[in-house]
Amino acid sequence: MPFDTASDTPDEALLVLYSNGDPAAARELTARHLPRVLGFATRILGGDRAEAEDVAQEAMLRLWRIAPEWRAGEAKVSTWLYRVVTNLCTDRLRGKKRRQAVGLEDAPDVADGARSVEATLVENDRMAALNAALETLPERQRQAVVLRHIEGLSNPEIAEVMDIGVEAVESLTARGKRALAAAMAGRRAELGYEEGS
Amino acid sequence: MQDSDLDDLFEAARQQPVSVSAALMAQVLADADAQQPPAPALPNRKRRIGLISGLLAAIGGFAGLAGLSTAAMAGVWIGFVQPSALATVTDAFLTGEATTETVNILPGFDDFLSEG
Repeated sequence: MPFDTASDTPDEALLVLYSNGDPAAARELTARHLPRVLGFATRILGGDRAEAEDVAQEAMLRLWRIAPEWRAGEAKVSTWLYRVVTNLCTDRLRGKKRRQAVGLEDAPDVADGARSVEATLVENDRMAALNAALETLPERQRQAVVLRHIEGLSNPEIAEVMDIGVEAVESLTARGKRALAAAMAGRRAELGYEEGS
Repeated sequence: MQDSDLDDLFEAARQQPVSVSAALMAQVLADADAQQPPAPALPNRKRRIGLISGLLAAIGGFAGLAGLSTAAMAGVWIGFVQPSALATVTDAFLTGEATTETVNILPGFDDFLSEG
């Protein structure tokens, strides 16, 4: 199939094409999912980019392996990947003690745009502060908050990813958000948030 | 930190593009290539047709060949053993007493060669 029309093809159809030997399908699936998988893993692993790349590569490898046995309609590819990444990150976080603070240099790269240097620095500061605050949360709360508020998943989807009930997801995200607000309470002015804004 | 500030931060985090290094992209695609099942081979539709099988196909296969052989053998048989029913017909044509008249429908073509 022509590669330029692949963007309209559903993920499941691309997996079938991949299993049938279509070389373009893997490129399209990678372009769609790798950035998201990498961004999610980076946040869950507290900004450890190298480890996040390992996790992202491993998650995609598992996708390639399961492709021939993928059962249509059972799960969304994105949800399945989030689940794999969540489990891989949990294993890694349990495997070794994470460092506590995230430096500014560990914040994910920001694409150069037309914004001023000051605006970019403020944004970098904010992202670094958010990542540092996320790292103070308990692991499950962090996963739920990132999936809900940054990755934009619905509560039922998060329940599927984390293998828990929807009520538990609601509880985790609510507590996580409160804890996040508390962790960042002292840095409001520092991060450029005006009083009353 | 207010809820709106947090929402603002989340929104900024959502907008932040994640850059994937070329090395990681290459590794993932190499994994995909290594894990990809081979494409099923297409059946070979172009078979070479030999002279004999070509001729056989032209007359309709072995059934055609059997029919043709039977007809040929019947012809030989009829040639050797002249049936009496045919002899009466052939005698009527081949008798020496028959007179043959010929009609010249184009007596000459000198007229066509003359100019004018």
